[in-house]
Amino acid sequence: MSGFGGVLPWARRTLVERDKILTSEEFSAILGVCQIVPGPNIMNLAVCIGSRFGGARGALAATLGLSLGPIAIVLCLAFLYEHYSYLESVKGLLRGISAVGVGLIASTGFKMMRDEFRYPAMFLVVVLTMIAATVFHLGLGYVVLLVAPIAIFLARKKAQSL
Amino acid sequence: MSILLSLFLKLSAFSLVAFGGVNALLPVLFNLAVHQEHWIDVQTFSDYFAIAQAAPGPNFMTVTLIGWHVYGVLGALLATLAIAWPSSIMIYFLQRFIMRMKNPLSKQTIQYAAAALAIGLVLSSAFEIALQINHSLAAYILTIGTIAITVLTRWHPLYLIAMGGALGVLGFI
Repeated sequence: MSGFGGVLPWARRTLVERDKILTSEEFSAILGVCQIVPGPNIMNLAVCIGSRFGGARGALAATLGLSLGPIAIVLCLAFLYEHYSYLESVKGLLRGISAVGVGLIASTGFKMMRDEFRYPAMFLVVVLTMIAATVFHLGLGYVVLLVAPIAIFLARKKAQSL
Repeated sequence: MSILLSLFLKLSAFSLVAFGGVNALLPVLFNLAVHQEHWIDVQTFSDYFAIAQAAPGPNFMTVTLIGWHVYGVLGALLATLAIAWPSSIMIYFLQRFIMRMKNPLSKQTIQYAAAALAIGLVLSSAFEIALQINHSLAAYILTIGTIAITVLTRWHPLYLIAMGGALGVLGFI
C-alpha cells in the first residue's frame, strides 16, 4: 500500500532489512528468476516469496495482499477522474505526472544498465533490442527470437569471465 | 459479456509475452487497447498511465484502469486477474526448477541474458510511450530531467511525481 513509485524497493527494505525473512542474496536470486519470466515482476515476486512460506496458498495470499488495497485506491482515483477530468488544471496535472512517469520508467532501464558496465559487450544486446523494437517495430516475439541467441551467447561469456 | 471475455483473453495473452514486466511492454498494451480493440482513446490511455503512476502500489495499474473503463469494477478486477494469472502460474512451477539448477554458470547466463533483454525493452518502451503522451517541448524536458535526477540522485520518485503534477497544474506542460 505504501509502494509509491513501484513496490520493489519497498519489498526489499521490508523483507530483507527489517523482517530479515530473506537474505540479500536470496532476494536478488528470486528477483532474477522473476525477471526472466514474463508478467508483472512484482506479482511474480509475490508468488515466489509467498509460495516459499505457504505453498500455493501462500502465493495466493501474497498476490491478493499486494493488489487488493492498491486496486481499491486506484478505482477511487478513477472515479474522481471521471467527474473532474474536464478541468484544465486536472488535465495539466495528469500531463505533468505522465511526463515524469515515463521518465521514471526510462530511469529503471538506465539503473539496470549499471551492471552491464562489468561486461560492456552486453550493450550490444540492449542496442539490438532497441533497434528491433523502435526502428523496425518488430513484434515482441520476433524481437526475442532475434536477440535471444546473441544475448545467451554473450551472457555465457559474461558469466564465464566474471 | 463478449467484451469481458475478449478483455480477459487479450490481456491474458499480453501477460504471457510481458518480458521485463508490464512497463517494458506499454507500447504493446497501447496498441492493443487503443488501436486494435478500441477500448480507450489516446488521451484516456495517457491519463490512466498518469493515475497509475501517481497511485501507490504495483505499476501495472494502467491495466486495471483500462478494465474499469471497459466494464466498471468487474472489468477492473478481471483485467487485473488476466494480467497476473498466466505468469503467476508459470513462475510458481518454474521457480523451483530454476532455483535448483545445479550449474551456477547456466543460471547466471539466463539471468544476464534476460536482464539485458529487459533493459532494451524497458528503454524502447519509455521512448515509444514518450512519443505518444508528451505533446510539448516542456514535457520532454520534464521527462529528461526526471531521468537525470533519478539516475544521479537518490530522491524519492514521489517528489518528482508531485513536482511534475504541480508544473502541470500551473500550465507549464
